Amino acid sequence: MTTLFLVDDHRLFLSGVSAELADSFDVVGQSDDVDAAVDMIRACTPDVVLVDVHMPGGGGVAVVANIHETHPDVRFLALSVSDAPEDVIAMIRTGARGYVTKSIAPDELKDAINRVAAGEAVFSPSLAGFVLDAFARSVPVEEDPELDRLTPREQEVLRQIARGYQYKQIARRLNISIKTVETHVSSVLRKLQLSNRHELARWASDRRIV
Amino acid sequence: MLAGVAGGISESFGVGPIYVRAAFVCLSLAGGVGLILYILLALVVPDDPTDHEDEARPPASKPQRIGMATMFVAAMLFLQAIGLWLGPVVWPATLVVFGLAIAIDTSGINYERSLQGVTTGRRSWWLVIGGLAMMVAGLVVVLRSLDRLQSVGVLAIALIVAIGGFVIVAGPWLWSLIEDLRTERRARIRSEEKAEVAAHLHDSVLQTLALIQRTDDPKKMVTLARSQERDLRSWLFDENSSDTDSIQGALTSAATRVEAAHDVPVSVVSVGEAGLPPDKHEALVSAATEAMMNAAKHSGATKISVYAEMTTSSIDVYISDQGDGFNRDNVDDDRRGIRESIEARMQRHGGTAIIESVTGEGTEVHLTMNGAAT
Repeated sequence: MTTLFLVDDHRLFLSGVSAELADSFDVVGQSDDVDAAVDMIRACTPDVVLVDVHMPGGGGVAVVANIHETHPDVRFLALSVSDAPEDVIAMIRTGARGYVTKSIAPDELKDAINRVAAGEAVFSPSLAGFVLDAFARSVPVEEDPELDRLTPREQEVLRQIARGYQYKQIARRLNISIKTVETHVSSVLRKLQLSNRHELARWASDRRIV
Repeated sequence: MLAGVAGGISESFGVGPIYVRAAFVCLSLAGGVGLILYILLALVVPDDPTDHEDEARPPASKPQRIGMATMFVAAMLFLQAIGLWLGPVVWPATLVVFGLAIAIDTSGINYERSLQGVTTGRRSWWLVIGGLAMMVAGLVVVLRSLDRLQSVGVLAIALIVAIGGFVIVAGPWLWSLIEDLRTERRARIRSEEKAEVAAHLHDSVLQTLALIQRTDDPKKMVTLARSQERDLRSWLFDENSSDTDSIQGALTSAATRVEAAHDVPVSVVSVGEAGLPPDKHEALVSAATEAMMNAAKHSGATKISVYAEMTTSSIDVYISDQGDGFNRDNVDDDRRGIRESIEARMQRHGGTAIIESVTGEGTEVHLTMNGAAT
């Protein structure tokens, strides 16, 4: 069973989510504090960490950054009440493999955790929208065009996600396999994390993202 | 101690700062020249924030000191000669001031620290005693000169001494009073802001909680919670949902209305930015709202997704649900929502509407409006 660690400074939410997921995952630990969470995650190296974005002491970004340095195999799924682009992009660029909002249905959350555990990326409709928005702005001259542009197929997959479709529906609608959908999304995630394109930087700075 | 002028001069000449200060005091008595000089120097001499303790000039030699003293006396004589002079009291006062300076310098009292107590609010016994002595001395001179009608200069000096004494004694207290007032004002502004936020939040949250308690329907509760969340979010993060001039804002507010009316969550995602002429804008938003309404009313879906993609050449809006779907042929003719409110409306304004529906899988309405320009 996939081992799962929960980090959230709201204890009530922590216990709720933990109860909800206990059947499907092996919840190996939880913490409501950034520093304690980093130590505990290093000690138990779970498959997936479900991490809240807004927390005192550096927030989810601090947890992801710290663990990513020493334990690159631990995967992160960001979970937050906030749907603000600066939060989403900051988490993804620090190394989280996905982002979902706290209002997500329990089944969808389980599905998202399994995807992240399998090394795939998970984009909420709004995250897909942000990414399209960021990459859609006019393309300047770049050193690495491959990283700085989304392929038409990737854009199409993101559009479908933004329109609220699940991966298997997208696969059927676009006549491709689910595996291909996953590959496209992971490739977008990689571009999002690695691309230094001016537009992304400017887009981020417009929205006060570091 | 004030602008650091005396300290700076004492450093570059190798004389104790107290003598420089004494010289300024005496020059001030000579028609205020010292005061003007002090202010000028404070303005002109550049600030040197570094601490030169280690590299301070070695103390001036005896001949140098005598030379400086002679120059000072010469300057005083010059001022007396040209008439910048408070009166016969100046020479005795000069002697007293320098006498005091020498006394303090050799006694080893840390007078700078004591005087800083005036501004930092720390009281020292030296300050209190010194201040009281100055007040008494000043008052005595004032009272004595009242019946003898001595020169105006003596009176002025006595007054200055008395006021100085008062400042030294009461300074720390006055200062802390001002500081308290400032702190209080800051705290009041902050608490007013907090009260405003609290008033808004309490009112809307309490309303929602009250409604939830009176509701048995879990679906209704979810809707209430969602609309409260939306409200709170737009208030806390000042999202542009209230800006109905933009297409995104108009779609978001339509989504909120549909959600409230039919208890189905409607999420809006938009990409890009573009504007439309008012009639096209109106047509697109109305058609999209109608599509959301239809989905909420008839599809049975648990959520509705709205996705808008805006470029300068065209605007696409997709309204998708994963509900029952329907067959166009089975829709009664008298239900004109789709044909009139969506398709015809879009066509009238140069747009298109494509409706795809698969029974059992859901419906997607794709609206396209061309030409951001008229």
